[in-house]
Amino acid sequence: MKKHNHFCKMKILLLLIFVPTLLLAQETITGKVVVEGTGQGAPFMNIIEEGTNNGTSSDIDGNFSITVSSLPVNLKVFALGFAEKTVPVATAGNITIQVAESTESLEEVVVTGLGSSIKRANLANAVSTVSSEELVGNTGQTTVDGALYGKVTGVNITSSSGAPGGGFALRLRGVSSINGNNQPLVIVDGVYINNVEIPSGLRFASGGNRGNEENSGNRLADLDPNDIENIEVLKGSSAAAIYGQRGNAGVVIITTKRGKGGKTKISFSQDTGINVIQNKLGLRPWTAASVESTFNAAERDKYNATIASNGGLYDYEDEIYGNTGFITDTRINATGGNEKTKFYVGGSYRDEEGIIKNTGFDRLSLRTNIDHRISDVFDFTSTTNYVRSNSSRSFTGNENEGGLSYGYTLAFTRPWNNLYPDADGNYPNNPNYPGNPIFVRDQAKNEDSNNRIIQGFKLNTKLFTRENNRVRLILNGGVDYLANETYVYVPETHQAQVGNQEGFVAQGKNNFTQFNAQAIAVWNNTSLNGDLDLTTQFGITYLNQKSNLVNSRGSDLTGGQTNVDQSVNQVIDQFFSREKDFGYFAQVEGNYKDQFIATLGYRLDKSSRNGDPNKLYGFPKASLAVNIANLDFWTLEAINQFKVRAAYGETGNPAAFGATFTSLGSSNTGGNGGTSVAGLKGDPDVEPETASEFEVGFDLGLLNSRVSLEATYYHKNVKDLILSRSLPASSGFTTETTNLADLKNEGVELAVRGDVFDGDNFRWNTGVQFYLNRSEITRLDVPAFAQPGAGFGTGLGTFYIEEGKPVTQLVGNINGTLTQVGNVEPDFQMAFNNQLTILKQWDVSFLLQWKKGGDNLNLSRFLTDLGGTSPDLETAEGQARLASTADALRFVEPAGYLRLREAAIYYRLPSKTVTNWLGESVEGIKLGVSARNLFTITDYSSYDPEVSVNGGAGLSSGIEVTPFPSSQQFYFHLNVNF
Amino acid sequence: MKNIFKIKMKYTITGALFALLITSCTIDEVVDPNGPSVVGVLNGASKKQLNELATGVESTSRNGLGVEVTASGTMARELYLFDADPRNTGNLLGKDGVSLDNNSFYSTAQWNGSYRCVKNASLLIEAVANTNVVSEEEKSGYLGYAKTMKAYELIQILKSYGTARVDISDPDNLGPVLGFDATLAAVRSLLDEANTDLSNAGSTFAFTLSDGFTDFDTPSTFALFNRAVAAVAAVYAGDGSSSLTSLSSSFFSLTAGLTTGPKYVFGLGGGNDRANPVFRVASVSATEPNNGDQIIVHDSWINDAEAGDTRVTTKTAVRPDPSIQDGLTGTHETRLYATNVTPIDIIRNEELILVYAEASILANNLTDAVTALDVIRNAAGLPNYSGAVTADALTTEMLNQRRYSLWAENHRMFDLRRYSLSNTLPIDRAGDQVFNILPIPLSENE
Repeated sequence: MKKHNHFCKMKILLLLIFVPTLLLAQETITGKVVVEGTGQGAPFMNIIEEGTNNGTSSDIDGNFSITVSSLPVNLKVFALGFAEKTVPVATAGNITIQVAESTESLEEVVVTGLGSSIKRANLANAVSTVSSEELVGNTGQTTVDGALYGKVTGVNITSSSGAPGGGFALRLRGVSSINGNNQPLVIVDGVYINNVEIPSGLRFASGGNRGNEENSGNRLADLDPNDIENIEVLKGSSAAAIYGQRGNAGVVIITTKRGKGGKTKISFSQDTGINVIQNKLGLRPWTAASVESTFNAAERDKYNATIASNGGLYDYEDEIYGNTGFITDTRINATGGNEKTKFYVGGSYRDEEGIIKNTGFDRLSLRTNIDHRISDVFDFTSTTNYVRSNSSRSFTGNENEGGLSYGYTLAFTRPWNNLYPDADGNYPNNPNYPGNPIFVRDQAKNEDSNNRIIQGFKLNTKLFTRENNRVRLILNGGVDYLANETYVYVPETHQAQVGNQEGFVAQGKNNFTQFNAQAIAVWNNTSLNGDLDLTTQFGITYLNQKSNLVNSRGSDLTGGQTNVDQSVNQVIDQFFSREKDFGYFAQVEGNYKDQFIATLGYRLDKSSRNGDPNKLYGFPKASLAVNIANLDFWTLEAINQFKVRAAYGETGNPAAFGATFTSLGSSNTGGNGGTSVAGLKGDPDVEPETASEFEVGFDLGLLNSRVSLEATYYHKNVKDLILSRSLPASSGFTTETTNLADLKNEGVELAVRGDVFDGDNFRWNTGVQFYLNRSEITRLDVPAFAQPGAGFGTGLGTFYIEEGKPVTQLVGNINGTLTQVGNVEPDFQMAFNNQLTILKQWDVSFLLQWKKGGDNLNLSRFLTDLGGTSPDLETAEGQARLASTADALRFVEPAGYLRLREAAIYYRLPSKTVTNWLGESVEGIKLGVSARNLFTITDYSSYDPEVSVNGGAGLSSGIEVTPFPSSQQFYFHLNVNF
Repeated sequence: MKNIFKIKMKYTITGALFALLITSCTIDEVVDPNGPSVVGVLNGASKKQLNELATGVESTSRNGLGVEVTASGTMARELYLFDADPRNTGNLLGKDGVSLDNNSFYSTAQWNGSYRCVKNASLLIEAVANTNVVSEEEKSGYLGYAKTMKAYELIQILKSYGTARVDISDPDNLGPVLGFDATLAAVRSLLDEANTDLSNAGSTFAFTLSDGFTDFDTPSTFALFNRAVAAVAAVYAGDGSSSLTSLSSSFFSLTAGLTTGPKYVFGLGGGNDRANPVFRVASVSATEPNNGDQIIVHDSWINDAEAGDTRVTTKTAVRPDPSIQDGLTGTHETRLYATNVTPIDIIRNEELILVYAEASILANNLTDAVTALDVIRNAAGLPNYSGAVTADALTTEMLNQRRYSLWAENHRMFDLRRYSLSNTLPIDRAGDQVFNILPIPLSENE
């Protein structure tokens, strides 16, 4: 204590001596920038004398010193991650400036070109940004795509499986490709990420039609959502044009957390929770009479016998889907660094059990992100992520007589038959379907494991730095290497295997390497006395992707063995793919006084997936934003932002790998190797499909942006849509993939945000999003056709490509006439997001999501009707349905819903309490409870209106065949910062 | 030092960038890493490539076989298929007024499957014409084989769809879909052409056929199969005397075993080999029944059988737990094939004897017909035919023997249709309808 006082006195003395001398010429302001709340020094903050180029930055402890020509001045203090602050300084000397940490200020900057970014306020596109807090702040999240529900306008997320580890498809602004890639391009720290669904070969035991009926997860699941600092979603071609031929379905740019420098901060989080089925359908309330009328007297006797001996029927739905899955998610990370080097090192482990026993997902993720300044000229960033993930997804979805998929089995399983194993572990046969679901759950396996490294690197070279001209060279790129293994095992004792395959094992070994690199030169030029900023960039990009999928299968297994070698019949499949893209781009952005912001850009691309691999395709873009509220005449104080904006851009999408080839497949018989035409007739002249989008909108900020509104209309035309269509099979080919149609998508997106209350003891932030999309096939070169692989034929209902109709229409054969029976496109979607802070320490948040309209084709019901097990068959309504013609009309159902997607309550212990309890070393403790999918209101009769029988590919959403039911999650959260 | 290093680095990187920009990156020609190209075999094919295509023709002739049997068998009330696809007991039986759809598996599987084989045969014919690695004799062997297989597949199409597309050589400009008579005429002339080719093909084929063609794997023995197919085609055309002529050059014999004839063989190995699609796992006992994926025998087939017909007991067995599905049931299930790799007959002597009977009736050689029918009856443990020896009565008997000899082999629906007897089929549920022909697939745009 004493020493401290002495030091203070010394300082005052020194000041008294030196200040008068300094006053003569210049004034020096010294001080410290500290973080509000914690009182810690804030390092590397920018401190600028307002209205000049004079500036400095704080050191590692937050201390700074700036010399100004005269007093008073206004000092502007800012840095990424902090709210900007302007402080008036009237006297020289020592001051303390408090800055507040902010996630919102991160929204300020949005990536628009490949090498530059722009302030959100100047943006000409509606780019949605999701911060870490919005993404994972409420509740536990398994996957990035599953975490985006209700957080981005213009996005339609479909879940194809409720299995832990997901199975999601993102559609931005409608369907933009049908047989090409219609999943957005995902870029994590500059690395193009692989988001494949990898088939396991289980269809060779289940009788599924295609790999995409195996309901594999998509590999975005490997990315830990908690690592993410923010996500930018470039939804349409106008925003994504600079990504050229990979940008048709939009671009999702993910930035992971970075070190902020300064004192090393350690954060530890523990989430503990459970998974339970969201919505059980229940048993048909059978009576002896209804058993007899549905089946016969023999079945009635079995029913009565079971009631007598067991006291009731067996509830196999509960037995299979009624598991309470335990979830743990443990994360620890450290950030810190000094002037030259900043780091973020983190590790997380999530282990999640599903609502079906023996299903689950676990993920170990390790990350090291380093930013290093070599010198004033060079700096680099390295991001490294290693992931090991495993999942066990069991058997769901479409099949044909495999006796494996639970929904199928349950549809035909009569609840008076005992399927439980006896004391010796023998499982009874299911009399009415070739599989016992309890046996399958306990003994059959469908698993995958992934080892993955995602490495990004960026080298920034400041080639030339002068007051009005700065030239940078950015070299960046990365590698995503994924080694995936799949494993399916169906024991020889499985009912459908006995006398048939006699046991089945499939081992997949799949490798994917994606490499991308780009070199960009960026020239910033300031002219007209600082009123006009021009940013010019040009560069090249290169992309190389390879995959090698090998699936080895054995059947007729040696008893109890799972090695492919221990089988009589062995089959190996292999599939290679190799893709290369090469592109050039250039872009100029001009900003006049933050009033007029215009961009012009052009990209040229070629790809090995196009018919002519060396033909360059051009993708222009142009945009203009006018900040009317920044114009000199604007005096309306209440409206601080009024921006009108318009943007146009084009993007492309090459045909899927293989579309150019007409090849022979193998077709062996009797031990002789044969070849046969494969189903696909390739098009050696296939061109990329190209989208052009025009977007207009305005942004409004009221009361110093306490209330903001963003409104956007877009109109997107996809030209030369690449379609797989059924060929007349008499040609020997069944499909061809070529440019056949034009497609239009148009829609509206609205987002309102408001700080409704901002008091000391009560704060309420709210956001409402509204969006809709409409599509239409505007040109079709061939007769209307049922989209192959997207439905079950016109007999049961299928997606149907027809000029003048929406691409999402469902068509069925109704009394001999092809009729539109539904449309999976929602009328609109809304999200209502709220954060409340009560009495400073309590945070309450909830997210409601509403999907209005849209139809599903519920073919699970077709099966349960046939098996006599639909829960409503004791009602007159159910019986009437059962008696009606089994066509598509009977199975179309409205699939709208209102869902409490996320809800959470957190308590932050007051810092005093924490200090009293645990001492100085612990900075903060936060506790909370949260839930996901707490309730859903829907007319849809099955488990969840969000379904897709064919995974995320193509036109797939909205058709249901016995999916993995979705779950509700409940969490307890603990977060400690050191 | 430091500055020099910096400057060096700057220029090295800038230089590298511009070097990249200036040297335009050329992407190499893209070749399918997963399979040989079709164009590759059409021009200057090697003998190995021709032989692989020949095997492909044999292999793909099995395509669509399963649905062909179960769909036509269901429509002709020979059987029900109890499995997870409700359309097998719904649409195919016209349940509650539903009509057959032209874009569902039952209407597309067989069409797609047969035409895949027809295409491969056409490719083989074209490839043989555009290569000089084979002798004239070898060439004739390939052609005779390919044309015979193509003709056989087109007959299968006719039986199910009543119409077919014969000219399919240019996939972008397909010939018309022809009516039944025109197609059959084209098929018969194709078979005759093939027979001529086979007679010019020397003593051996240049390619290897599977064990299914044991005894039919040389040009002269394969011609026995070719003539058998021609005999079948002739009776379908109502041409009894031509049929009898063809039979005399085929493997038809009233005294040889009924099972003689070429077969489809099955395997569980790689390269898209396939299992017997009509095999179903037998129910072991009442406690271990297999009702979930089962071919159930239509009760009428059991009930209408003459007492003592051994075909009933060899082809079917009593179900230990005769459950009901979709309001349907049956007392028996299939035992047609013992395992999932048991071969399926393409044409066997039993069918040829019945064709001989039919051709004899058409040619008014009624006693020959009786002789043939008695061979079949006796083989099934039945006494000689004792009914009237008139064309009508013998036709009825012939169709009945075909019903039992060729159960679940894709004959009954067509037999009833060509003799206009489909309306005699029983209706099992109120609201069911009888269909006897499949619609041409939607994708043909007809």
